[in-house]
Amino acid sequence: MAADDDLPEAVAVPPRRARFSPIWIVPILAIVVAVGIAWDRLASEGPTITIIFKSADGIEAGKTFVKYKEVNIGQVTAVRLTDDTQNVEVTARIAKSASPLMVEDAHFWVVRPRISLSGISGLSTLISGNYIGFEAGTSAKKGRQYVGLEVPPIVTGNTPGRQFVLQSKDLGSLGIGSPLYYRRLPVGQVVAYDLAPDGSSVQIRVFVSAPYDKYVVRDTRFYNASGVDVSLTANGLDVRTQSLVALLEGGIAFETPPGYASSSQASSETVFPLFHDRVTAMKVDESIATRYVLYFQESVRGLSTGAPVNFYGVAVGEVTDVGLFFDPKTLNVKPRVEVVLYPERVVAQLPTGQGVRLQAMVEQQVTRRDFMQKLVEQRGLRAQLATGSLLTGQRFVSLAYFPKASKARLDWTQAPAELPTTISTLPEIEEKLGRIIDKLEKVPLDGIADDLRKALASLDETLREARSTIQRFDTDVTPSLKSALDEARGALGAAEKVLMSTETNLVGPGAPAQADLRNAMQELGRAARSLRVLADYLERHPEAIIRGKTAEPMPK
Amino acid sequence: MTSAAARGLVSCSECALVSRPAAANAPGYCPRCGQKLEFRRENAIERTWALLVAATVLYVPANLLPVLATTTVVSSADDTIMSGVIYLFASGSWPLALIVFIASIVIPIGKIVALGYVLITVQRNAQANDRQRTRLYRIVEFIGRWSMLDVFVDTYIVALVQLSPLMSVEPGPGVPYFMAVVVLTMFAAMSFDSRLIWDRSGVNHGR
Repeated sequence: MAADDDLPEAVAVPPRRARFSPIWIVPILAIVVAVGIAWDRLASEGPTITIIFKSADGIEAGKTFVKYKEVNIGQVTAVRLTDDTQNVEVTARIAKSASPLMVEDAHFWVVRPRISLSGISGLSTLISGNYIGFEAGTSAKKGRQYVGLEVPPIVTGNTPGRQFVLQSKDLGSLGIGSPLYYRRLPVGQVVAYDLAPDGSSVQIRVFVSAPYDKYVVRDTRFYNASGVDVSLTANGLDVRTQSLVALLEGGIAFETPPGYASSSQASSETVFPLFHDRVTAMKVDESIATRYVLYFQESVRGLSTGAPVNFYGVAVGEVTDVGLFFDPKTLNVKPRVEVVLYPERVVAQLPTGQGVRLQAMVEQQVTRRDFMQKLVEQRGLRAQLATGSLLTGQRFVSLAYFPKASKARLDWTQAPAELPTTISTLPEIEEKLGRIIDKLEKVPLDGIADDLRKALASLDETLREARSTIQRFDTDVTPSLKSALDEARGALGAAEKVLMSTETNLVGPGAPAQADLRNAMQELGRAARSLRVLADYLERHPEAIIRGKTAEPMPK
Repeated sequence: MTSAAARGLVSCSECALVSRPAAANAPGYCPRCGQKLEFRRENAIERTWALLVAATVLYVPANLLPVLATTTVVSSADDTIMSGVIYLFASGSWPLALIVFIASIVIPIGKIVALGYVLITVQRNAQANDRQRTRLYRIVEFIGRWSMLDVFVDTYIVALVQLSPLMSVEPGPGVPYFMAVVVLTMFAAMSFDSRLIWDRSGVNHGR
């Protein structure tokens, strides 16, 4: 049909040959593999960090590892000088798995063999080479730039225990790693020290490992245990040391004064003062202290500041000052000693029930003064100098009752009040000696002499009686003694005869025993001779012991 | 001089006998040696390109991944091809470094670049320097097998140095990629039809 002819003809497009050739699978596969590797690499790639060290001693790019808990977590990739050429910048690639550990306050240090007084560490690095030690931090912020530590941190973050800060005037012989002792048991270490921001003191950071950290309570005293502490006091020679390590290296000890052990535990980071020695550290701070002044009438040589004030042997106070006092009225100069008394120390020595009652009395100034006044004015409480050690001449102040002492008053209007004194015990001996002499004088020497004469007369008589007794002995006993001796002589003669006959039988020249003996002796002589011959022969022919005697005629 | 294909004749790729094709679209088989006859190798340029691209892609991991992992008591080190060359050069044996450098770096790159150049010029109907290009292609084909030197050295060392636990050497993950690069470039060189180089050239090669 014509209508059909008008229609346009469809365009015949020949089927295009597939442009894709299977050979392209090869490069696609190659790309997939290469991209896969790249992806894998990127995914496993951990962070790259830089650590600044003072020196790269033992650090080598590609050979030094970063280890955490002895596990490789990274590798040093580059070591170069910092831009100012003062330090070394170490670049390390950290494994992906360890990347969460790379926080701001993480620490790095070089582990190398270290030999110190307190121990040997890092010996394994002698074989494996140095490596970089790592200690994770607690911060949440990521860090990529670090400054390496020159010495490994003493305490790793996850060691249980607590840190405390000690404040001291100077560092002394302490250093990082110096031991911390509790009852001479090493329980911690000094982990860091730094000057206080104002430069007035040193802050020493110590770590007390669990479970010992619970013994650090609020009233715990820390004191320097470095070296030997020798003190010569009225109590004698006092030598204190901690361990030998502390002796050589220094150390800190802590202790809680008795009576405070039950106080609450100190929280972490508590600041404690570091005392110079144990004595000062352990001094209990008494809240109640009364000061007195003592005027002596004798030399106070040997008495020094800090000397104890004893009351029946219990230290109740101490000497705070030793000096002189000038009395303008009498133009007299006398020794002046200031003491401080801690009434609580007396209370502490009492049984519980009594202690409470006295404590109540002591706490109020009025009752306390009243009590002291009674002691001094009614009971005769006096202070006197006493010798602590005759060897060193150290003296202390002793409080005791002297009921016979002259009356004295305690004048509270003066500050400090004057506590009456009495002369020390040594001069008192003279007094006692005088009293002995007095007694001696009263002895009735005349009567004694009379008695003595009578005694001598009776003695004379006794002697005379004795002489007559001896004379009687001479006349009565001696003759009978003579006849007894004659008889004895006869007996001896008979004995002699018996002996003579024995001689002929046994030892006389013809006695049979004698003959036998002689024969025996001759036999013995012969035996000895042949033995000598044998010995001579053996000396010349030692082999004869093994081989026997040869035919060779015996030399004469 | 025109080529055989231009005259409607086909040359055997095996024995070089020039014969009349059985049909224009199916030349048939060589009457002398029985080889399947082709005017030009089918899809030669495309195939070569594909293999060349694959080789180029794999050349990257082959050079970035270590080929040799040395583990001693004190350390462990991974060496890539280039770091091995640098190590050899730094330790003074520069002739060895040069050999490894040429065999493992220069030749693979050279092959890829040379094949790429030839392919591009053929596709662009370039008519100049076809003699040089043919020579270049010949060199690429010839030299292909020698670039396995690095793999060869690798296997040698791995077999020799096994003093475990003191020291051990193991092939790294880069080795298969390097092998793949070498094999793919060889295949690429083979799949190319050198006759294409002078097909479009009007230059008389007779001389």
